[in-house]
Amino acid sequence: MNAPLIEARGLGKAYPKVHRSADRLRALARLLFNAGGGERVSVLQDVNLDVARGESLGLVGENGAGKSTLLKLITGVLTPSSGSVRVNGTIGALLELGAGFHPEYSGRDNIAMAAALYGLRGDELRDRLPEIIAFADIGDYIDEPVKHYSSGMVVRLGFAVIASLKPDLLVTDEVLTVGDESFQKKCVRWIEEYLDNGGTLILVSHSMYHVQKLCRHACWLRGGRIEQYGDVFDVTQAYLAYHERKSTPVPERAEIVRAGYEFSVLGVELNGIDTEQPLMLEFGQTLQVGVRIRSREGRPPCLAVGIVRADGTPVYGVTSDMDGSAPRRVGADEYHAQIEFGDLALLPGSYAVRVHPLDTEGVRLFDTVERGIVVRGASREFGLVRLPHRWADAGDTGGA
Amino acid sequence: MSAAALTLRFFQRELRNRFAGSFSGGLWALIQPLIQLAVYAFVFVHVFKARVPGADAPGYVPFLVVALWPWTAFSEALVRSATAIQENAALIGKVALPREVLVFASVASSFAVHLSGFVAILLVLMVAGQGIAPAGLLPAVLLYIPLFALTLGLALIFSSVQVFVRDLAQALTQLLMLLMFAAPIFYDRTLVPENLRGWLDLNPFSFYADTFRVVLLQHGDFDVTRFAIALATAAIVLLIGHRIFRRLDPHFEDFL
Repeated sequence: MNAPLIEARGLGKAYPKVHRSADRLRALARLLFNAGGGERVSVLQDVNLDVARGESLGLVGENGAGKSTLLKLITGVLTPSSGSVRVNGTIGALLELGAGFHPEYSGRDNIAMAAALYGLRGDELRDRLPEIIAFADIGDYIDEPVKHYSSGMVVRLGFAVIASLKPDLLVTDEVLTVGDESFQKKCVRWIEEYLDNGGTLILVSHSMYHVQKLCRHACWLRGGRIEQYGDVFDVTQAYLAYHERKSTPVPERAEIVRAGYEFSVLGVELNGIDTEQPLMLEFGQTLQVGVRIRSREGRPPCLAVGIVRADGTPVYGVTSDMDGSAPRRVGADEYHAQIEFGDLALLPGSYAVRVHPLDTEGVRLFDTVERGIVVRGASREFGLVRLPHRWADAGDTGGA
Repeated sequence: MSAAALTLRFFQRELRNRFAGSFSGGLWALIQPLIQLAVYAFVFVHVFKARVPGADAPGYVPFLVVALWPWTAFSEALVRSATAIQENAALIGKVALPREVLVFASVASSFAVHLSGFVAILLVLMVAGQGIAPAGLLPAVLLYIPLFALTLGLALIFSSVQVFVRDLAQALTQLLMLLMFAAPIFYDRTLVPENLRGWLDLNPFSFYADTFRVVLLQHGDFDVTRFAIALATAAIVLLIGHRIFRRLDPHFEDFL
């Protein structure tokens, strides 16, 4: 119980570069005579990962980040180029569609082969066969060659085999989403039950919804390294924010008008802290934005404060003159304004606060200063903000 | 992992692969060598008027059969298994399994098919009164054991090297053709000029061709030294083959 199920230490994988057939010959000679060298492309470097029994880990990352490579190393399909990985238990892997199935053979034959690949003996298979066929629930297709199956049926068959094996570790990826609604539900139910009974799960998915639903922890791989590891909500939110930033073409600095501003921002304090680092907030906490503005000619400015999502999507914006307020004069040419957002309704994720001084009439806009904020919390709601809501006729489920 | 169950599955699959979709099924394994034999018998006996030298020499057909059938098992096993790893690339890339099993199943299925064909044709020849010694049947089958070990050792080498050097399979077909004629299969070793006879023994199959004839046709004498050398060769080749395979195994994925 105390030894982790998976221990990866300095795990790395590099592929040799082979362009011409002479390279293959050279590689063969190197391998046979134990010499190192040769050009290599690294796809995974220095991964340290412990997965305890009963853990559920989501693996997220862009295409080519090394997720599949990591899974293949864990399942033993690939041999590490550096470091080591140890798995202290049985593994059931449901990776690619129909992996290990032979298209010419019937479903029944393929179940037998898959079971043998997972180390099941003949008599054990005979005991479980009815259960597997019932779970797959593909009717008479079980005796048809797999090449006549729809992709959903292939997944049903694959999952049915894994489900009957009850491995210590279940490794799976998005293939589940190929199944139809009812089968997906069956799988998710099975996985939840499996996790409740102490099973361990590694799920690779691009659907943050699935990851958040099934996993407690998440690991974000980027360029073959672990970018972040931790609570599933923290990691998936950071990952989504990264994508939002990436899809923003250029920082929107177009609004910056005129050099030698008539009005400029001297400093911005978020909850009393003036730093370039993003401010961490809990969901529902209060956000205070304090701004010091320099007015070159001493005229009173207006202030616009807005909140945008990390990709630049506006969430909310307001100016002081809309609310009939004005920055307070604190010096000869210096003004100060403070705005407070109580019970911040922003859903967990990354955002930015933007402040702009406006002229006295609230017409022309000067200067832009942006500060990042990160809202943390465990929520699976969609969108940007939580709108006040109430379910009518709700049954009592113990919640508020 | 229960490797035995896995091996059995792959073995069954190999056998079925051979016959799946073919009209005559398992019968083909018997028909093909029979046709081959008929062709050889016609060409050698009726065209070339081939005779086995010696006073109480066996007929040419049984003489050919007892060496040609084991050769077919040997050469076919090598040709088929050379691509065993490459052909299962899809499986190797996705499922963790001991890859030796693939090579073993391939070699074993060739042997199973041709050994049963061999026994069948020996029984036919025995009934036809072609001088097959019934007492030699069991030793002949046992002789397949070192032959199998030798073949498996070579197959492990070829199949793993094939992953890196793809021309190997083609070259192997040519090499086997050469080896077939460089072994006393179609002819008796006494027909080879004295000064060249030593070269025959460099061919690992020569011992088996001669010894099958000793056992089944009482043609020639059993040579204990050559037997010991053949056993040692089989063991060493198997050992080396296994070591080369183990060394290359972790890198298959990178080159497939």
